[in-house]
Amino acid sequence: MTEILIKNGFVVDPLNKIDCQKMDIAIKNGRIVEKVNEREAKIIDASGLTVMAGGVDLHSHIAGSEVNLGRMLRPDDHVKDAVRKTALTRAGTGYSIPSTYVTGYRYSKMGYTTVMNPSMAAMKAKHAHEELNDIPLIDKASFTLLGDWWFALENIAKGDLVECARHIAWMIRATRSYAIKIVNPGGLESWGFGRNVHSIDDKVPNFDLTPRDIITGLAKVNTMLNMPHTIHLHTNNLGVPGNYKTAIETMQALESVYTGDKPIGHITHIQFCSFAGDNWAHFKSGAAEIANYLNAHNHMTIDIGQVTFADTTTMTADGPFEFSLYELGGHNKWVNSDVETESSGGIIPFHFKKKNAVNAIQWSIGLELSLMVKDPWKVAMTTDHPNGGPFYHYPRVFAWLYSRKAREATLKKCNKKAQRKSLLPTLDREYTLYELAIITRAGTAKMLGLKNKGHIGIGAEADVAIYNINPNTTDIAQDYKPVRKAFSNAIYTIKDGEIVVKDKELVTIRPGRTMWLDVQTKEPCRIDDELKRKFKEYWTIEFDNYPVTDHYIKVPEKITIQASV
Amino acid sequence: MTEIIKSVVCPICGCLCDDLEVTVENNEIVKMKNGCAVCEAKMVHGYKSDERILEPHIRKNGKLVPVSMDEAIYKAAQILTDAKYPLLFGWTSSASETQHVGVELAEELGCALDNCCSVCHGPSVMAIQEIGIPTATLGQIRHRADLLVYWACDPWSAHPRHVERYTAFTDGRFEKSEFKEYVQKLKGKASKKKVEAAIRRTQVRYQPPPRPQTAIVEAPPPTLAKTGRKMIVFDVKKTMTAEVADYFVQVEPNSDYEIFGAMRCLVNDQEIDVDKVGGVPVEYLKEIVDAMVNADFGAIFFGLGLTQSVGRFRNIEIAIAMTRDLNRKTKFVISPMRGHFNVTGANTVFAWQTGYPFALDFSQGYPQYNPGEFTANDLLRRGDNDATLVISADPGAHFPKSSIQNMMKHPLITINPDWNAISRLGDVVFPAQWCGIEQAGTAYRMDSVAISLKKVVEAPKGVPSDEEIIKRILNKVRVIKAQKTRKDVTETKNVENKKI
Amino acid sequence: MITITPKRKFDVPIQAACINVDIFTGKTLEDIKKLAITEGKENLTLNDAFNITEDKTVETPNITLIGDFSKVKRIGQGMKTGEIIINGNAGMHTGEKLAGGKIVVNGNSDGWTGSEMKKGLIEIHGDAGDYTASPFRGTDTGGMKGGIIIVDGNVGSNVGCYLRGGTIKIKGSAGRFLGHHMSDGTIYIEKNCASRAGTFMTGGKIIINGTIELVMPTFTIDSIKPKVKVDATLNAPGPFYVFLGDIAEHGTGKIFALKTTNPALSTYEKYL
Repeated sequence: MTEILIKNGFVVDPLNKIDCQKMDIAIKNGRIVEKVNEREAKIIDASGLTVMAGGVDLHSHIAGSEVNLGRMLRPDDHVKDAVRKTALTRAGTGYSIPSTYVTGYRYSKMGYTTVMNPSMAAMKAKHAHEELNDIPLIDKASFTLLGDWWFALENIAKGDLVECARHIAWMIRATRSYAIKIVNPGGLESWGFGRNVHSIDDKVPNFDLTPRDIITGLAKVNTMLNMPHTIHLHTNNLGVPGNYKTAIETMQALESVYTGDKPIGHITHIQFCSFAGDNWAHFKSGAAEIANYLNAHNHMTIDIGQVTFADTTTMTADGPFEFSLYELGGHNKWVNSDVETESSGGIIPFHFKKKNAVNAIQWSIGLELSLMVKDPWKVAMTTDHPNGGPFYHYPRVFAWLYSRKAREATLKKCNKKAQRKSLLPTLDREYTLYELAIITRAGTAKMLGLKNKGHIGIGAEADVAIYNINPNTTDIAQDYKPVRKAFSNAIYTIKDGEIVVKDKELVTIRPGRTMWLDVQTKEPCRIDDELKRKFKEYWTIEFDNYPVTDHYIKVPEKITIQASV
Repeated sequence: MTEIIKSVVCPICGCLCDDLEVTVENNEIVKMKNGCAVCEAKMVHGYKSDERILEPHIRKNGKLVPVSMDEAIYKAAQILTDAKYPLLFGWTSSASETQHVGVELAEELGCALDNCCSVCHGPSVMAIQEIGIPTATLGQIRHRADLLVYWACDPWSAHPRHVERYTAFTDGRFEKSEFKEYVQKLKGKASKKKVEAAIRRTQVRYQPPPRPQTAIVEAPPPTLAKTGRKMIVFDVKKTMTAEVADYFVQVEPNSDYEIFGAMRCLVNDQEIDVDKVGGVPVEYLKEIVDAMVNADFGAIFFGLGLTQSVGRFRNIEIAIAMTRDLNRKTKFVISPMRGHFNVTGANTVFAWQTGYPFALDFSQGYPQYNPGEFTANDLLRRGDNDATLVISADPGAHFPKSSIQNMMKHPLITINPDWNAISRLGDVVFPAQWCGIEQAGTAYRMDSVAISLKKVVEAPKGVPSDEEIIKRILNKVRVIKAQKTRKDVTETKNVENKKI
Repeated sequence: MITITPKRKFDVPIQAACINVDIFTGKTLEDIKKLAITEGKENLTLNDAFNITEDKTVETPNITLIGDFSKVKRIGQGMKTGEIIINGNAGMHTGEKLAGGKIVVNGNSDGWTGSEMKKGLIEIHGDAGDYTASPFRGTDTGGMKGGIIIVDGNVGSNVGCYLRGGTIKIKGSAGRFLGHHMSDGTIYIEKNCASRAGTFMTGGKIIINGTIELVMPTFTIDSIKPKVKVDATLNAPGPFYVFLGDIAEHGTGKIFALKTTNPALSTYEKYL
């Protein structure tokens, strides 16, 4: 492996408390090292440039059955954004749901090196992994949908969390996944018969428990299993006016599980559950309430799910939500895809428009939350790709965060009613590069428990992004446009010590790794005839054919975890 | 040596039953359990056929002669690179690993790429692109559905275990099997048939009964209002599936669209100005719609009778529209009865790599999509392509004459395990392993659940997998292309030198 | 005026979106000859496949195509101004996304002619293929928005789908699914119309001067009108049965079917 020395760049590395210091970064054998032999190493002159760790995205729907159904659904979307084959790269299409190769290329060009695929139906895990193999250049991992899995529901209802933990450990291994994803707990099971739950204390039909039981139960299980990430939670009542109360109730429910050392829950795309007002006509922001709660408590982290005003495609495992969104009208296409015993799903093309009051307020909510939650370590920047907007719109979001001027320019073009309701004019905060690095790599890596990612200290994986930003000469808040442009295409991206983007162009295509957890419980999940019989009853696939085999992961990175049960 | 292999996946239809028990003796399948008749025909007998292609062939002076693999690969690559606009067609009986390389080959060649779904459920995909689809995995239907509608399909003959594994005859968590009731009914029917057959045999010259001019539709039976599982079949003729259904509605051919339209109005509580639609009295339709609305969970399955009759994808569009309307009142899902075991996989793999599920064109360097423009039959009918590669499919047996005639005007490469109609017509003929019997891989069930196919016996010596053949062709194409560019470069240099 | 004739008979399809007045304007003949097209996967220049001559004395039409262009796709795609005359058959996607100007086909045109058109005029003096004036697959908001398409012959199926404005006049007959999902605009057919016209329509009007094979059950009879306005220049004399629909989509589109040519529709009169 070649040695690389990045010289004289302004290093922004929050996990190592380095803020725009001029220093050199040495790379050897895919790791950051103290020093390399300058004569032999490849020298990158980064003077006048910003050097950060490669971006870590903790919530972006890039692969799997749901995503692909979205691709199939929208030829009208792809025809807007065709990508030519080159000698190095494969052809493909965008726009809101790029094809696999294009996904890898675009992330890499933005300086991102790790992406989490947050919603994988266990039964369709093989499909997700086949697609992940085809996403080059970035490391990735998937979260399995477990919040409505019958095994989990039955064990939680019985009160047997240890047994539940064993089953979940088995499932995490069987699906080669990284975390527990919970979507509208109880709601998806209800959706099996076309119903939904409307508060965390509603009873889940046919099961003797409530969403509250599921959330707290799985949070406890997560702790028992020593999972690196917390439970990844998509709350009940998502996308319903007044749902900020549900979000706060959910966070309050988890207070009891908190032991005081590290966060135990993550609410994802919280923008979609920070709605106040009783109905769509009185729709307004609940960001202040959510932010106040988060500022006063330390057991939760969030990511934003920022709206970027794009003609995009919404997709989530929350089937009932997509149906209610569809019923609001304006869309001709609606996809629902239930998965037996486990989950559900829905897809709708959606155009977020500045002139639409609700859409514009949603845009405002996302930014309000990012700005009002004081501790950036609690916040991750996402657009919930492709729900709020495609991932390659991230630089726009950065600009709204680091520049009040950028926010105001967009707000001016928004719906008048939304402008009046927006809290943005009262918010002076502007993100620094340091804070921006936290919400895009350092903080997200920390939330995910990825020790060697998100920073470029000695020993870290050599994932580096170099942007054309000179913090000494640029006032990013004033000159927001060139900085936005710089973020949208890194000068260099280095993945595992190999230069993949040079002078803004892809120069090497290499596969990324797929990370997965091998959670070892003290006593493994009993695979007896009883379990196999149950399996046969619950699914339409044989027990032997259910797990994802090694064949489905080209470049695996197995992470072994010792559980405490 | 006898070996029993469990949980084997059946590589025939879109059901992908994965509970087969296969007995292998001396590298030969001798027995199997759990499979349907179709499965047994292929897995125990069919794959061993004498018609097996065992080595590559090239047509020389009008006759197919055996050649080495290297020669065949080179010839195939040469045909494909020389052609201005080849078409790669088939893919649906290959593993998704093969399909995966196929897209790369098409991209490298800048050619048209299509799979068999353009002649089966492509219209379903096109309808989804127009309107979306509320669907579910088969297990969801097994656990919950209390109303099953089979429309223009005959699973009893085409997907024999569909009813028994996924719908009416299987026990779900919330809905139990209606198996016993059906068995009794079936027994009654069977003995009745036997009597009828005996009578027929006594007659010297059997005259088939005259076909009724218009369909006779019986009134809905009172059982339609019962709780528990019910099954309704809509079709143009009384199929085996219709025999076991609670209610069979015989519709006039090519009038499904109108019936769906009328049913949509009824679901939306609107009045209709006509008394009869597609041969079915509106009052009967009202009762059917009532049963649908009152169901806890309904599921509609449709087959080629909808996708390939007049109206094509618009038939599916309106069927989905009706299902969508029903979801405002209860829970309803709709699902296509996909045919070949990995046709869903072909759509899936093509879509994740290119964004489009079939009917692809790479001539512009990026993927283009348009059924009607880049679908195999439309290209062939117009004579647009100038070379064809057919893999794991038999258009020779299933395409219209005009398409095959145009196909034969240009070189044809085939990759198939046995001498089917299209292999016999080929200019370069490759052998291949039987996917799912001699070759492992991944297939996607009709509800797009990926399942791993197993390898249970060894292929005959020297017969490679189709994945390997496509990979080797791809490599050879790259080599030839590189040579060509080098030649082009030197040629232009020579020209430039002369000019000087 | 630029005149373009094929140098040979084409086997594989040619994509030539560059045959477009906007692109030709301001270019010398030599530049025009060098414009890129593709024949199958081969990258060619316009000159490789066509003879191109210029006649500076004639202003309009700006481009004349003479010969068989049935394999040449995307002629005049996205054109904003100027006039193209095709003396021969035209291939697929002729005048797609037309935003102004005029295209005349003295022959037949293939599928997707005038697809997603915004403005301008397309005249086809032969037959037009399927999906004339219909948008790309899965595009539910991209139907023809404005302009006029006149077809002297017959049209195929799925014509005028998702129509949002403009006028389509067909002097022959029309295939199935005419005006499917249209929300505005006018389609006028002088001869007969196959079944399933106006399915999913929510607005606009379809006027049928010949017989309609079958009115969808999702349409309800509204009235009998003595005449109907097609556009500023044409008032079609009736009487017409007026059907309202598609009621399953809560639509208020109208189908006008001439009373004299549609005696079978008299059964509907009892509901009036």
